[in-house]
Amino acid sequence: MSPDPPSIPSLRSVEVLASRLRRRQVVGSRDTALETLLVLRQVITRAKFSNIDQLVGIIRAVGRRLVEAQPKEHSIGNIVRKVLHHIREEYYAATGTTASLAHPSGEFSIAKFLSQGQPRKHVLVQKSSEIRGTLREDDPDDPDSFAKGLKPVLMEALQDVLDELETVYDNIAKNAKDHVHSDEIILTLGHSKTVEAFLKSAAHYRNFTAIVPETAPSYSGRDMAKSLSSSGISTFLVPDSSIYALMSRVNKVILGAHAVLANGGMFAITGSLMAATAARAHSTPVVVCTGQFKLTPLWNLYHEYGALDFGNPNDVLGFQEADLVDKVDVVNPYYDYVRPELIDAFITNDGDHPPSSIYRLLKETYDDEDNEL
Amino acid sequence: MLQCLLPVCNASLLDWTFESLALAGVQEVFVVCRSHAEQIKTVIKGSKWSKPGSGMKIVPIVTAKETFSPGDAMRDIYTRGLVTKDFILVMGDLVSNIRLDEVVRVHKERRKQNKDAIMTIVVKECGVGHRTRPTGDSAVWFLDSKTSECLHYQPVTLYPPTRIVKLPRELQENHPEIDMRFDFIDCGIDICSVEVPSLFQDNFDYLDLRRDFVHGVLTSDLLMKNIYCYVAKEGYAARVKDTKSYDSVSKDILSRWTFPMVPDNNHPGGHSYEHLRGNKYFAKNHPVILARYLSLICCYICPITNKMPKKKSTCNVGTNTLIGSSTQILDGAEVHSSVIGQNCVIGPGAVIRESYIFDNTCIGSDCVIEQSIIGFDVTVKDNSHISKGCLIADLVTIGPNAKLEPFDRLSVRREAGVTGESDNKEEEEDSDIEEIEARQGSIKRNMGSDSNALIWPDGPLNEEEEEDEGPENFKNLRSLRIGDDVSDLDIFDDDSITSESENESSSEEDSELDTDQVSLTGGSESSVGDAAESEFQSEVKQSLERAFAEGHSLDNAAVELKTLRMASNVSLTRVREAVISAIVERIQLVEGGGLPQRQEITKVINRWGELIDRIGGIDPVETITLLQVHCATSERMPIFGQILAALYQIDVVDEDDIRTWHKLPESRAEDEKPGTTRENMKKCWIIVSHMIQQFNAQESESEEDDDTGGEEDEEEDE
Repeated sequence: MSPDPPSIPSLRSVEVLASRLRRRQVVGSRDTALETLLVLRQVITRAKFSNIDQLVGIIRAVGRRLVEAQPKEHSIGNIVRKVLHHIREEYYAATGTTASLAHPSGEFSIAKFLSQGQPRKHVLVQKSSEIRGTLREDDPDDPDSFAKGLKPVLMEALQDVLDELETVYDNIAKNAKDHVHSDEIILTLGHSKTVEAFLKSAAHYRNFTAIVPETAPSYSGRDMAKSLSSSGISTFLVPDSSIYALMSRVNKVILGAHAVLANGGMFAITGSLMAATAARAHSTPVVVCTGQFKLTPLWNLYHEYGALDFGNPNDVLGFQEADLVDKVDVVNPYYDYVRPELIDAFITNDGDHPPSSIYRLLKETYDDEDNEL
Repeated sequence: MLQCLLPVCNASLLDWTFESLALAGVQEVFVVCRSHAEQIKTVIKGSKWSKPGSGMKIVPIVTAKETFSPGDAMRDIYTRGLVTKDFILVMGDLVSNIRLDEVVRVHKERRKQNKDAIMTIVVKECGVGHRTRPTGDSAVWFLDSKTSECLHYQPVTLYPPTRIVKLPRELQENHPEIDMRFDFIDCGIDICSVEVPSLFQDNFDYLDLRRDFVHGVLTSDLLMKNIYCYVAKEGYAARVKDTKSYDSVSKDILSRWTFPMVPDNNHPGGHSYEHLRGNKYFAKNHPVILARYLSLICCYICPITNKMPKKKSTCNVGTNTLIGSSTQILDGAEVHSSVIGQNCVIGPGAVIRESYIFDNTCIGSDCVIEQSIIGFDVTVKDNSHISKGCLIADLVTIGPNAKLEPFDRLSVRREAGVTGESDNKEEEEDSDIEEIEARQGSIKRNMGSDSNALIWPDGPLNEEEEEDEGPENFKNLRSLRIGDDVSDLDIFDDDSITSESENESSSEEDSELDTDQVSLTGGSESSVGDAAESEFQSEVKQSLERAFAEGHSLDNAAVELKTLRMASNVSLTRVREAVISAIVERIQLVEGGGLPQRQEITKVINRWGELIDRIGGIDPVETITLLQVHCATSERMPIFGQILAALYQIDVVDEDDIRTWHKLPESRAEDEKPGTTRENMKKCWIIVSHMIQQFNAQESESEEDDDTGGEEDEEEDE
């Protein structure tokens, strides 16, 4: 597979995004996902290709570039995989290769599990022989005809992904009233936009109490508490140290995620592991609100104790503590790795799932061949 | 090796600086370079910064050979007209993650209100004993507590120890609260307005940005420019100026203070590293080979024996370590808190602590290296011992069994026959090298049999430089060396502090008193004076006459006087004296006195009286003294009281000043030689006594009056 080099202007926007990602000027899984999608759309609009392999090659190259720039924002890779998945789907639809590509749906059934759980290798092998529909690949007379034919449907597919990203909070929050009951005490952590929307939506129907720990060292819990109380939810802001003590009174722990991993574990803001472990000790259910774009076909291989991204010690130990700086090594992880055993359910915009079925969602959402970009 | 191309954590310092700027949102960079300009140009051209999409435009500028200091560079910028807007000035050795857009915004806002706020200096708060803070080259900053305007700047050196910091008295009058800070890191980031280069052009003797420019601007009462400080709360910024700061900045990078610029994320050199527990970084692309390292990254079993180990087998990589790609760390080697470049080999059993080893270097077995910097392509053969603070230049080979003393500096010995080819600009260096070669005999070191090293002597090259004043003093520079804690310098010796400071302070007072007395007596004996003095007198006279005749505004007259004072370098008292006498002489004597005389006095004093306070300092008591001295020798003696009253009316002097003066022994003129002058001075004093009686009378009246506010009472209490 030797893709045409992407044209210069699109390459430029990729480079700009890559350096912004590297410099942490774009952070947060949803923002990075949106930016990635916009760049991909630009790339596809301008790309020149005459068969599907070239297009996939171009997108993979761009995706690899972005993921290398910031391997810690998993949603970049997820969006690239998702776009690739949609492109293939549209392509099969357009060329008449109907194959066994059922639309992914949230419903869980053994029958579907069997059909979709299998690697889709045979489909791809068939493809080269079967494709001859309305679209002609590698047309020597008009090399652009394939691109011209496919681009409109691709744009539509991208628009779908974009819409999904933009409505992700609403879709998750839609079912909030089924999860939060009246007079419950809910504990959450940090300032997750998803959880914020979820709780606010629940507040329309239910009367409940939220407990928000400060969430050191970012203290984003303070913003969360302010935001929740301003929309009429009775909110307590508590120090992190009292999470365990309060846990016996808490009915449910609702957490946000940075990325959900293939085994059903997740990366979430520092402190989540402590809260989840405390919840386990009191048998309090732990529910995670997350957009589907955070599902990542990866495992946590190292950094068992914290995870992934280590920030500036400045938040923990002031730079002016001259005597300590030289003697103390400060570890300030952004995220905790929360093991799947500690999580009871994921609430996504694609239905509710136990950690054990995350791998199945991954199979539905992405193509296996894209796990390594 | 060029300082700005020195690798810090395996990326050149220049890349760190560019990345810092890019992170801060800078879009266009001019790089002013002098020596090795071509080399810098090629480096910039080949780097990722000149690729499209880097988001930053870098323009290298080569300045003249005569540029030796930042001041010269600024003058060059001015003559070329490079900058037309406000700009950010940094040195090519900056590592920072401070968001500068906020600083620039504050600067611009301030500029809108105050055109004279020409510069904002970014400083970072840290403790006094912080590793990143240079002990030998720091400063005391005086800031206004509210506006954080920088009021005074006093450089501090470790040796000779700076013990006294002087704060100009005028500052205390205008600023009720002053912060005196000794815990700043000077980040070397200045937001400058366009005026800054032109100020350098005007003051051609400014060399250093801080010691000359900032100090000069703040102490000058001609320029009337303000400099502000921005105390960065968030973020990190430091300069790599010397080996000590090289060490501390590297450590700060490894312990992630510079986040998001850390080796595993946004490494300026474009390498990718893997971050492991305990701030260990291993290169990703061409993996590091670690002998039986306990972690799962890579397992290396000796291919020859292919057996389980004898005694020490696993290599040990400690915390805060960075290891470049394709580097091998063999059996039993230990690496702690160090940075190791690419393609290095660390031999079996070697121990490396807090050291920096550049690319392609080979360390033999069982070597010990502590707190040292080792250049590119160096070979250290087996069993060598390099103690703390050593610097080893590129391509040196030492050992086996070499033993270096602390702070040795090694470079490659020149090969015979090369000498003749060197061109002019290197001549000076050559003479140094020759001198060192000549001295090799006197230095005894075991360098090992295969060594090609030349050892540089410890201490200053020429003995006469030993007593160099200022920051370039060798003992002061010592505090900037890697691994040197300067504990053996006697600066903290208690005896010396007390005795010396006493001496210094007392001599300080003496000299101050001297100047005061000289200037005070100078009034009556003005005939004594050298050529410059008389020239100044006549100049001031002429300038004031011109001002009176042409009706200049007070401001213009004041500026003219200040310039004159600067030009002939005389004390403020002399100017004040000249102004007072000129004003007094300006008053026409009206025959018969009475109302017309009083009107005449009021007219002149109202028009010109304030000039006395505008010449660059306010000292009403001295004003009265000078007035008295002048009147005593002049025919305007009779109107002394009325002039004083007029000055009192326009608030140039107030009641307290008159009282203070009245109590001074000089005012009674008892030291004077008997004669008319003394008589007159006495008369003046008596006149004032009457005046004070009047004041007292008024006050007692007002005291009886219950309506008087609290303020007046307070004043009286004081």
